[in-house]
Amino acid sequence: MQTYSKFLWMGLLLLLRLTGVGLTQTTANPDISVIPRFLIETNDGNGKFSRPDYSFEELEVVIQSYLNPYSKADVILTLPGPDLEEGKLGVEELFASVVRGLPLGLNLRFGKYRVDYGKINLVHPHAWPFVTQPLSQERFLGEEGLNDLGVSASVLLPTGNLYTKLTVDLLRGAAIGEAAGIEDTTGGNPSYANSARLTSFFTLSDYSDLEVGLSGCTGLHDPYHHDRFYYANLDFKYKYRPSSYTSLVLQGEYLFNKRQARQDREFNSFLDADGNPERRSIRSSGFYLYADYQFKKIYSLGARYDWSQSPYSQDDKARAFAVFLGYYPVEETPGLRLHYQNTKPVGVASINLIALQALFSLGPHKAHPF
Amino acid sequence: MKRLLIFLLIFISAIAADAKVRVVTTLTDLADLTRQIGGDRVQVDFIVRGDQNPHFVEIKPSYMLKLKSADIFLMIGMELEMWAPQIVDGSRNTKLNVVDLSKNMQKLEVPSRVDASQGDVHRFGNPHYWLDPRNARALMEEIIAAMIKVSPNDEPYFRANAEAYLKRLAAKITEWEATMKPFVGSKIITFHKSWSYFSNWLGLIIADQVEPKPGIPPSPSHTAELIKLARQGNIKAIIVEPFYDLGAAEQIARSTSANVIRLTTSVGGVDAAPDYIAMMDYNISTLAATLR
Repeated sequence: MQTYSKFLWMGLLLLLRLTGVGLTQTTANPDISVIPRFLIETNDGNGKFSRPDYSFEELEVVIQSYLNPYSKADVILTLPGPDLEEGKLGVEELFASVVRGLPLGLNLRFGKYRVDYGKINLVHPHAWPFVTQPLSQERFLGEEGLNDLGVSASVLLPTGNLYTKLTVDLLRGAAIGEAAGIEDTTGGNPSYANSARLTSFFTLSDYSDLEVGLSGCTGLHDPYHHDRFYYANLDFKYKYRPSSYTSLVLQGEYLFNKRQARQDREFNSFLDADGNPERRSIRSSGFYLYADYQFKKIYSLGARYDWSQSPYSQDDKARAFAVFLGYYPVEETPGLRLHYQNTKPVGVASINLIALQALFSLGPHKAHPF
Repeated sequence: MKRLLIFLLIFISAIAADAKVRVVTTLTDLADLTRQIGGDRVQVDFIVRGDQNPHFVEIKPSYMLKLKSADIFLMIGMELEMWAPQIVDGSRNTKLNVVDLSKNMQKLEVPSRVDASQGDVHRFGNPHYWLDPRNARALMEEIIAAMIKVSPNDEPYFRANAEAYLKRLAAKITEWEATMKPFVGSKIITFHKSWSYFSNWLGLIIADQVEPKPGIPPSPSHTAELIKLARQGNIKAIIVEPFYDLGAAEQIARSTSANVIRLTTSVGGVDAAPDYIAMMDYNISTLAATLR
């Protein structure tokens, strides 16, 4: 643990030096964007459809700029719904990145950020084609995804005409605990985690591309007992875009979990046949797969299938099926998304959700990469 | 041992002599001009195909890979390629010389104030300056300046190639101007504000755009206004780039005597435009035939 801590501090000091934080000052204003999302939704969770509720979903404030010729900084503040007036603005991401000037084309990042783990984890909810988070992501990574304090390094591997990137992260580990519903994940001490991702990008034709990624993450999910988890994640994204008016996206991720645990998601201790507490070895998994077809430039229609077990049990599983329609009358925003989802957790009745999401983006928020 | 050293020296100098200036351009037009200058001493690639809208380009890792090993990245500038900085950063190429070719251009339509109510207005002016072929000389000067920083010994070769090309282009400009002379003062409608420099050069008048504001999709009310305008102004041509939908333009054409024509803003936008001169040949001959 001390070695980790030493590396983290050395990394932070090195990055502070490289990013020039505190040494230089930009003369231009940073790019500032404000992206709110609103929601009208109803579900039949209590037997019949509730009266549609119109609520504020989330506000993202995105501030981005170069710090100097070598580095950039990103600040993403969020105000979660539904309380718009009394809600508290939080820091979703706050990081500096060294984008050039390091040997071997190394890129470094430090701060709090969405970890380069899997495919959808890096994408903010306003850029999803659907309204809800895939079940496997929510169950294994939490509502905020894998988003943690850490230091990240990435390199492009020398694979000729094939773009291949390797990213390695040293994380504080808090996000994994939060994903499991544990408020205090540290037990008084940081519970470090490591994450890595290898991704390759294939240009299949002038109009179609494929990205394939393999990620892994390990850390202590129960620092009191030093119980460790291991995640492996396989993802892909295929995009066919014959014109600026039409495109088809196919994307999916499969996550495999292996961990030692002494309690379930509700913190009920595992007991053996004699009623004594026991430590179990759990293997579980989850996946989602979606297709999104953009037609006539301003409309998109898609469907998603989710299936997921729980980080603490193979038997605690659920599946969901969703269809969604997007309407973007001018450009990417403002936009409207109509979403229907049927979710069926094991052992209980299925729940139907109908949601209409409205969003806009004020400011020069940059396009999301492939 | 001595023979081995001599062989190695010859081998290394052969590799050095074969080293080409590696250039990546945003547009195919710039790629063609660079090839004309660099001949066999330049290796050129581009990001945006001729049939793609250069304003909206998805950030793909493959583009970053193209820039990773490049010496020079040539851009039109004036915020046409708003996506370019993300590709440059993603390339991790510290030695890359990013060249904004708009520096010495005479700019049109520079707004005094910019906000989103005006649509996608470029705050430094209309960036489609490469569609006036008289700007080719200034463009090529900038390209040569960038290339000789990488390969100073090739300056005479680059300059000789450029002069030969510009001579050929000057003759074509005279020919194109003669073809279009009868149509000076003719009114046209364009889909997007891509043709301001082109019209300015040829003395054409752009009556309006199919887009109500730059980058904003056609609306029924604006289309109705254009039908009225086309009837009153005896407008014969509606220019639509290969990457825009023909729907609204064809609706105007059906109600008026105007014809919809596909002109290309970039090399490769249509099959008949494999290079810059062929592209201008195609655009001029198609437009002249429509206005006739």
